Amino acid sequence: MIFITGPLYSGKKEYARRLLGCSREELKDRAVWDAQDQAKDCADLNNLADELARYEVVIATEVGGGVVPVDPAERAAREAAGRLSVLLAQRAQRVVRVFCGLPMELK
Amino acid sequence: MFTLVIGGAASGKSEYAEGLVLLSPHRPRYYIATMEPFDEEGRRRVEKHRRMRAAKEFETVECYTNLSSVRLSARGTVLLECIGNLAANELYSPSGAGTVEGALSAIAGGVDTLLAQCEDLVAVGNEVFTGGSDYAAGTEDYLRLMAGVNRALAQKADRVCEVVCGLPRYYKGAVE
Repeated sequence: MIFITGPLYSGKKEYARRLLGCSREELKDRAVWDAQDQAKDCADLNNLADELARYEVVIATEVGGGVVPVDPAERAAREAAGRLSVLLAQRAQRVVRVFCGLPMELK
Repeated sequence: MFTLVIGGAASGKSEYAEGLVLLSPHRPRYYIATMEPFDEEGRRRVEKHRRMRAAKEFETVECYTNLSSVRLSARGTVLLECIGNLAANELYSPSGAGTVEGALSAIAGGVDTLLAQCEDLVAVGNEVFTGGSDYAAGTEDYLRLMAGVNRALAQKADRVCEVVCGLPRYYKGAVE
């Protein structure tokens, strides 16, 4: 599994398509994105990471930047998203952060 | 040489970008000022920055919208700061393009115009994309525009870096 992360609208999906050499349509079967949203209210992040790692490519948007939210639920969601990304990076053969459309190899 | 410097609030991106300009041998130094002062506080802020940059021998060129209209008198080094202001002006100011697509082409096209008129360009952009995506619709437009501009400029640039705690991380090219 290749884990792709990066800021919002940084070109993560476009990079995934380039990597796999596939169309927008095909990407739906080969990759999963917005993984950070699935971390919210998830009871077992390890298990979720295992499930997601079955895809060729897993994409998650970084959401831990900016001001720490006042709302406890939002804070918890951010924490969970961050931890999920760490678990995905551990399971990945390769980790890439896309920034302004430019990929940087992290692992 | 075109360098795109991106960073979050108070990341040290401006100081780093200014340092790159001071390293360039090409004179004169131009500072493209994009913040439109709306009140007394804004005017004082602009005046303070203008004095600081005058000491470093920058010539200030004001440009709030329509970057393509800028004409430089000589081929020198340009500091464009910052893209966040320019994007907001193009999107929300009465003289701006008004739409995400229009603003994107106004800014990307404007950068091409600057590149044709100078030896070195350092543009400063903003990292505002890792605080989640739960925003009102208007903010979403602004974020999409900023991301579009960042990606378009990153493609044109010789060097792209993100400044974190005053330290640059290069995604493209690198300083010699």
